Amino acid sequence: MKSFIFKRLLLGIAVLFGVVVITFFLTRIIPSNPAAKWVGPRATPEQIKQATIELGLDQPKHIQFLRYLKDVLRGDFGRSLRSHQPITEEIKKYAPATLELVLLATVFAVFAGIPLGVISAKRKDSWIDHLSRFFSVGAVSLPTFWVGLFLQLIFYRSLGWLPLGDQLGTEIKLLYEIPHVTGLLMLDSLLTGRWIIFKDALVHIILPCITISLYPIGLVARMTRSALLEILGEDYITAARSYGLKERVVLWSYALRNSLGPTSTVVTLSIGYTLVNTFLVEAIFSWPGIGTYISTAVTGLDYPAIMGVTVFSAVAYVILNLISDIIIAMDPRVRV
Amino acid sequence: MLKMKSKSKTITRRLVSILAIIIAFAMALSGCGDKETGDADTTDTPKIAYYAYFSEPILDWDPSVEFSSGTIVLNNIYETLLRYNPEEDSFEPILATEYTHSEDGMLWTFTLREGVKFHDGTVMDAEAVKFSIDRTINLGKGASYVWDAVKEIRVVEPYKVEFELKYPAPIDLISSCCYSSFIMSPTAVNEDYENWAAGGKEAGTGPYMLQSTKMGEEVILTQFPDYWGGWEGEHFSKVLIKKVPETASRRQMVETGEADVTVELPYEDVQALSGVEAVNINRAASFNNLTVFMNNLKEPLNDVKVRQALSYAFPYEDVIKYAMGDYAKQSKGPVPAGLWGHGKDLPQYETDLEKARTLLAEAGYADGFKLLLTYMSGDEAEKKSAELFKSELNKIGVDLEIRAMPWESQWELSRHTDPNERQDMMMMYWWPDYASPYSYLYNMFHSEEEPMYNLSYYSNETFDNMIDEANVLSASDRVKAEEMFIEAQEILIEEAAAIFAYDKEFVWVTNSSFAGLNNNPVYPNVVFFYDTYRTK
Repeated sequence: MKSFIFKRLLLGIAVLFGVVVITFFLTRIIPSNPAAKWVGPRATPEQIKQATIELGLDQPKHIQFLRYLKDVLRGDFGRSLRSHQPITEEIKKYAPATLELVLLATVFAVFAGIPLGVISAKRKDSWIDHLSRFFSVGAVSLPTFWVGLFLQLIFYRSLGWLPLGDQLGTEIKLLYEIPHVTGLLMLDSLLTGRWIIFKDALVHIILPCITISLYPIGLVARMTRSALLEILGEDYITAARSYGLKERVVLWSYALRNSLGPTSTVVTLSIGYTLVNTFLVEAIFSWPGIGTYISTAVTGLDYPAIMGVTVFSAVAYVILNLISDIIIAMDPRVRV
Repeated sequence: MLKMKSKSKTITRRLVSILAIIIAFAMALSGCGDKETGDADTTDTPKIAYYAYFSEPILDWDPSVEFSSGTIVLNNIYETLLRYNPEEDSFEPILATEYTHSEDGMLWTFTLREGVKFHDGTVMDAEAVKFSIDRTINLGKGASYVWDAVKEIRVVEPYKVEFELKYPAPIDLISSCCYSSFIMSPTAVNEDYENWAAGGKEAGTGPYMLQSTKMGEEVILTQFPDYWGGWEGEHFSKVLIKKVPETASRRQMVETGEADVTVELPYEDVQALSGVEAVNINRAASFNNLTVFMNNLKEPLNDVKVRQALSYAFPYEDVIKYAMGDYAKQSKGPVPAGLWGHGKDLPQYETDLEKARTLLAEAGYADGFKLLLTYMSGDEAEKKSAELFKSELNKIGVDLEIRAMPWESQWELSRHTDPNERQDMMMMYWWPDYASPYSYLYNMFHSEEEPMYNLSYYSNETFDNMIDEANVLSASDRVKAEEMFIEAQEILIEEAAAIFAYDKEFVWVTNSSFAGLNNNPVYPNVVFFYDTYRTK
């Protein structure tokens, strides 16, 4: 077990190194002039020359790479070409909003997806099963940006029930002091008892949260259903039923528990997908997270920022993968 | 079995108790949740204005440095000595109440407004003005070059400041520039001369102070109670400027009234909104115009006849109609309509393929040739214009390759050391730093040793001398200077130095409850929120 985790860890580090190498050289191949970007439009040649030296761009590529690698190892992604602020600081500022959205969407996906899968399995081939399967397939295959715009159209434009985007309403943002404890807005407002902020944040997170969680809901429901169906055919379930246990207990305590292994793997892996998906959804909902940050960086060719976020996402993905590997390894039925 | 059942019950019970503890803890911290209204001013609900902007509201908080969209924020926080109104060609006194200049335009004296305070309480006086402009010049960043003519700034009296120049220059126009002309508090700046503003600090005299900001996302402004203009009458007490990149979102927000004002909506959206009652559409002049540069140093464009032929082949009307949705007008020379120095009676090329063909034949290119045109990737209008141009050129035997490139890359290519390696044509928008035709004529057409923005690589000594002389003259005799600037443009048009495509129109989309917005093309995208108010 230990050597398995160790091996996985090594592999993860190798992957991250690969990501750093590829992003670094990819951004160097694309024709552009970071120094000109740094000094902004209408710069004089002297200003650009000065910036080239300041940014170390006059050095050979391999020296630049070694410098970058050294900085990345210390958690320093350099400075943004646009805002001139340290990228690590900027990521720290934007990450909590994304984290909050991803976490909530995942929790929501689990609590909506599992019951859906269980009901579907229990009433296999009934209309409920068909409906739930139809929903799961739909949820997985609909393009997220379309769902986001569609929900906005219905709940904001037509019904006027929910806000269009952003994390808080204009008035709340302007009139109240926003608490800052962990950086997670909803948690912070809850911890400091600012109910009005919590309520507003909750109302604002509903649409982006649903948009993002549709995919994992579909995935979890389908996974739970197929895992359950397999387990429900096992001998020990028949045995439990023959003891005269209630069907509810058989299903929810016995069968479900054993089907949670594959489901939790799927959930962990889907967080990685959700994270990337968030990038798109954030732009639609003006959500002040990493996605909004990277979309500005990409359109503005802010290379250090693009590289920083890519490495950051890769780290998150590797960690999640590691966790799901460990979960699988902990299942006594799996030999590693 | 029984054991298992009780185990799951225990887990549930434990979960419930943990949740209860968390809630109790939160309630305790909140003082049982009755404090909600505590930090909001309930007696008088503030009036909030919301500007949904298409990109980051501000990049650099330093008023000496910011040379980007940040002008929309800084112009509400800081003030300049004067504000220029191009429509009436007049100056509005802001921090300076009056000014005079010597006959030769070498010495400018400004009398300052008394009783003005910075947001940090420091008094605004001649020392502060000298300090601010000196700092901007010393740092040498952003648009600081507009002050290039200044030799020395002197404090004559506590409220009188004098600019001595190296050569004559229109300091009235320069001091109303929307970048790099802001007056800031010396007390605040001296805490850390170079970096005091980093990350979001300010010390201006303007009507609004910075309440909070999220870098790259939003800026919240709140009224400065001691503002010299006072707060009598209708004003907004708070302003939110936020980046909303999605055009669909910006449009919906203004329609529902969530946002008051937005810009840069696609023309399709603007047209769709034109009948909507809740929305006002304000079309106004902008100083933004599109130029198609032609490589004057490379065959076949080094031949004036070929350049004239291409100027005749450009589909002006189609471009304005299909690429700009009719929100533009064909340019007359490089100086846009609305700015002094624009020649109403200057000649224009019209699309005439016959003339183009004849000219090409005369130049010995009846069989045509191949050209490369680059434009900035992501710019829909440039893309459509390039495509329309390509199909037109095709008809006269010219094979145009069009290539989208990121701005830095195409600029890099256009400045290649070997002129033959550069693209043949390139599209670029220009807007002025301060309101002078010299900004267009000098930057885009004055001879340069190393190319910067003269990307036609046009070089004509007569033209250079004329605009240099006119610029010097503009400090003392604006009327004569204007005549000379217009005359100089005739040369450019005659020699077809570039294709003068169109002057863009500016479109403000506002909610109909939002009033007081005055478009001023010298301050692009800027809403002076102090002048705005809500009607219902």
